Amino acid sequence: MLALNAVSKRYPNGTRALADISLAVNAGEILAIVGGSGCGKSTLLRLAAGLEAPTAGHVQVDGEPIAAPHPAVGLVFQEPRLLPWLTVAGNVGFGLAALAPQDRAAKVDAALTRVGLADYAGRWPRELSGGQAQRVALARALVANPRVLLLDEPFSALDAFTRVDLQDHLLDLWADTRPTLVLVTHDIEEALVLADRVMVMRAHPGRIAGVLTLDTPRPRDRQSATFDRAKRQLLADLGRAGAYRSGEEAFPAAAI
Amino acid sequence: MTPLSVAQTSEPAALDTAAAPPARPFRWRFLLGFVLPIGAAVLWEAAVRSGIAEGRLMPPPSRILATLADLARGGELWWHAQATLARVGAGFALGVAAGTALGALAGASGLWRALLDPTLQGLRAIPSIAWVPLFILWLGIFEASKIALIAVGVSFPVYLGTLGAILSIDRKIIEVGRIFRLSGPALVGRIMLPAVLPHYVIALRSGLGLGWMFVVAAEFMGASEGLGYLLVDGQQLGKPAQIISAIAVFAVLGKITDAILVALTAPLLRWQDVASRS
Repeated sequence: MLALNAVSKRYPNGTRALADISLAVNAGEILAIVGGSGCGKSTLLRLAAGLEAPTAGHVQVDGEPIAAPHPAVGLVFQEPRLLPWLTVAGNVGFGLAALAPQDRAAKVDAALTRVGLADYAGRWPRELSGGQAQRVALARALVANPRVLLLDEPFSALDAFTRVDLQDHLLDLWADTRPTLVLVTHDIEEALVLADRVMVMRAHPGRIAGVLTLDTPRPRDRQSATFDRAKRQLLADLGRAGAYRSGEEAFPAAAI
Repeated sequence: MTPLSVAQTSEPAALDTAAAPPARPFRWRFLLGFVLPIGAAVLWEAAVRSGIAEGRLMPPPSRILATLADLARGGELWWHAQATLARVGAGFALGVAAGTALGALAGASGLWRALLDPTLQGLRAIPSIAWVPLFILWLGIFEASKIALIAVGVSFPVYLGTLGAILSIDRKIIEVGRIFRLSGPALVGRIMLPAVLPHYVIALRSGLGLGWMFVVAAEFMGASEGLGYLLVDGQQLGKPAQIISAIAVFAVLGKITDAILVALTAPLLRWQDVASRS
């Protein structure tokens, strides 16, 4: 379980990125975080990953405090951030330096098979497409079997088809070991397709504006009436949280 | 807005995907690069032989080759080349060591950078040849002053390259290292060194180029052997063929040492090849 207790983050320049956030994500739950830019959703993820320390409050995973990057917590960035001087296999096995070579190779192979890139082990990152590179990044984060996997807008740089493909793929991967997933996203459909709960944040300072619980079992039909209702609900929540300016009925085209 | 007409959507005309890409013709184009130098050499040779030109101050290729052969036969050429190579080697090694150490220090922390960089940039602004009289006073007219001059010339581009490479490491890549709980030497060894390497190799190559430049200056300041000595000797005794021979040997040695440097570092930079291949 990932828990944030009264967490605040203020940067040296005075920006209050997060103010008094308390949040518990259950083991095996998928939580999506949405909100306008500057609402602190990426900061929240960086705190959970141990890349930054909160100014007040604390972050815990299964009761253990997270003060620095922790082996039980994996992070996938918006960009694949593969190391260009390592092959695909080298990148996936990067965090497994402590293992014996044959154990590492077996784990890397298994992870690449899971993301469907077993044949790409010897390729260089430059030879991959955007979607393939992000799948390698997923494999790199999953290979150590983290209990919590944090994803920071992981598919936002990909084209629409690849994005939908990877969303489905992420669900398959999650179903294998059921880690706790926390997904920061700009994409409302992505949040509604994947998450058990969608947390809406508001900015200045970053706070929780509301949480939408989704009961529909996965996989979810993007065309169904339920999905459409949830989408309207979430857009309304986001509008109230000031994520975008909206008239009564007129959503900005970009949000839909 | 014009409504999109569905009727317009049709099967694309059969694309000729089966046709093999045209076989790449043998590239003759690189031969074009030889046309000017060889053409000029042949023309000059012809002009001198036919008596149109005198060729005393600008000897024809055949006389230069004969001079080179003479120098090589007597063992002189090897002797001079060896002396020059030893100086470049020693000066390059010292200059790389100093430039790398200073660049790494200045790149490692802002404090060190604030302390070192202004002074080094100031020293860099001095034309390195201006050190010659001082080095001769300090270190004498023999090897030490020559090697010091070369080392100074080499160290600045290596310093700048090292510092620039460290400063340009993508913070996002460093974060990847942090996520995998690397710090200190492990972070340096597994993330920073490989990230810096391509820039560093370029810095080494420009350092080596400057090393060859400064060895000539060093040998001008009074040497009894070395390719630079051959140049001075050729000027004083009026032997233009010897001067041009020495210049040609400089060109060849410079190219060979650069190629060796590239070949030595190539295995470490294999991942970069991908970009140029695709």
